[in-house]
Amino acid sequence: MAGNFWQSSHHQQWILDKQDLIRDRQHDLGILSEEEYQKIFNFFASIIQVLGEQLKLRQQVIATATVYFKRFYARNSLKCIDPLLLAPTCVFLASKVEEFGVISNSRLITTCQTVIKNKFSYAYGQQEFPYRTNHILECEFYLLENLDCCLIVYQPYRPLLLFVQDIGQDDQLLTYAWRIVNDSLRTDVSLLYPPYQIAIAALHIACVMLSKENHKPWFAELNVDMDKIQEIVRSIINLYEMWKSYDEKKEIQALLVKMPKPKPAPQR
Amino acid sequence: MQKYEKLEKIGEGTYGTVFKAKNKETHEIVALKRVRLDDDDEGVPSSALREICLLKELKHKNIVRLYDVLHSEKKLTLVFEHCDQDLKKYFDSLNGEIDLDVVKSFMYQLLRGLAFCHSHNVLHRDLKPQNLLINKNGELKLADFGLARAFGIPVKCYSAEVVTLWYRPPDVLFGAKLYTTSIDMWSAGCIFAELANSGRPLFPGSDVDDQLKRIFKLLGTPNEDTWPGVTQLPDYKPLPIYQPSLGLAQVVPRLPARGRDLLARLLTCNPALRMPADDAMAHAYFHDLNPSVKNDRC
Repeated sequence: MAGNFWQSSHHQQWILDKQDLIRDRQHDLGILSEEEYQKIFNFFASIIQVLGEQLKLRQQVIATATVYFKRFYARNSLKCIDPLLLAPTCVFLASKVEEFGVISNSRLITTCQTVIKNKFSYAYGQQEFPYRTNHILECEFYLLENLDCCLIVYQPYRPLLLFVQDIGQDDQLLTYAWRIVNDSLRTDVSLLYPPYQIAIAALHIACVMLSKENHKPWFAELNVDMDKIQEIVRSIINLYEMWKSYDEKKEIQALLVKMPKPKPAPQR
Repeated sequence: MQKYEKLEKIGEGTYGTVFKAKNKETHEIVALKRVRLDDDDEGVPSSALREICLLKELKHKNIVRLYDVLHSEKKLTLVFEHCDQDLKKYFDSLNGEIDLDVVKSFMYQLLRGLAFCHSHNVLHRDLKPQNLLINKNGELKLADFGLARAFGIPVKCYSAEVVTLWYRPPDVLFGAKLYTTSIDMWSAGCIFAELANSGRPLFPGSDVDDQLKRIFKLLGTPNEDTWPGVTQLPDYKPLPIYQPSLGLAQVVPRLPARGRDLLARLLTCNPALRMPADDAMAHAYFHDLNPSVKNDRC
């Protein structure tokens, strides 16, 4: 579905207004500070990323799963569904939509168990991954409904490739900008800005990091709203600032305890 | 589900039963497609997901509208715009020959729906009369996108087992893996001939070989001169050398010369030379199309 972003459900329904987003998060932000909220999403983005890598998914699929995750909680409180269940469900749905082929549910569950045990024990200690196939399938329905069945997500990767080609192929620049796009998934920018703007912002940051002064004219000639680009740049730089002083391994357990949770559901 | 009252079973789709139903509040008639979730491992089947997410993006007069998706315990129901019949049933209900103005109108609408899909980088991949819906106002809509896919994301190959044999182009029959919008244009050509012949299928082959022979008997067996690269296709096999028969006038006797010219451009064996949907819409055959069909914007 490339090339028709402007008519897409992504553009028409899922570029959200910042004030609306803050308002919809009010319940959770009554319990968590904005920074704590971001740290929790940073953590679950890592879970989705690691799960995706273990399942050998393309980055595009991982990014789509992360956007589903963020879209769901843009409209719902964390107490609606345990993010530890929603994260693998997003991976499951995204892999089907992106036609990666279906991941068998049992393989998904096994991978979740291994990943939680081996890579995230600093958060979950000895606790095992508590969900099974039936939970994922039920959650998939709920997710679909909350996404309003808008499943095609445009990512910044493709515009990024085109922009780098236009600037004049520069592999180092592409590698940096690509990683910055990956990092941007841990901010709200995928909910607030069109993907091509995120790609430009990532390029901008990469040029500054690499001190590539010679690309300045290229940016100057772009016909884009530079204020928006600066907003995106700021969100990503804020993330990097947060990372400098944040030790997830030490802090996440307490945050997960504090996080709003679903009331224990009656056993089905 | 309480919102809809089931009226009757309409048929079986790619992944579930289709019912005609009435919205109890608005009395609007809709089609409900119940998605079977029998494979416990897959969850919502990918064919259903594909249809949901593509139709969510494709809103056009000549593409069936997806109104809603309903979730209930272990069941998913897609709510579609209802059309009175599909083109296959329309053919069956014909008494005598089809009106040539209807042929032109249906064909134009088919091409317009396809041009829209293709401009959105979506291939239908399974065009056949059963997947074209017709309503009382003579509007035609593309349906059943269960095999459709977005082709914007580069993938190495597409599965070869997608199009019903009769509407399958020779490149796909020879195992071509990287096909594009041209696949739908061949099917459109076959449907055009079938329309002009009031429902008699053009190439009703019984297997791949028979299908290819039927095609080449009419159009001539392709070779490296007429279709560079044909012998390199994965499932290429030498077939009897048929010369192109003079035949389109005999095959579609009721179709005027301009219509036959358009048909020939769609039924072109070499996919690179097959006419795309937007060019086909501009073909001289449609110059005298009823303006009410042409101007109908979505």
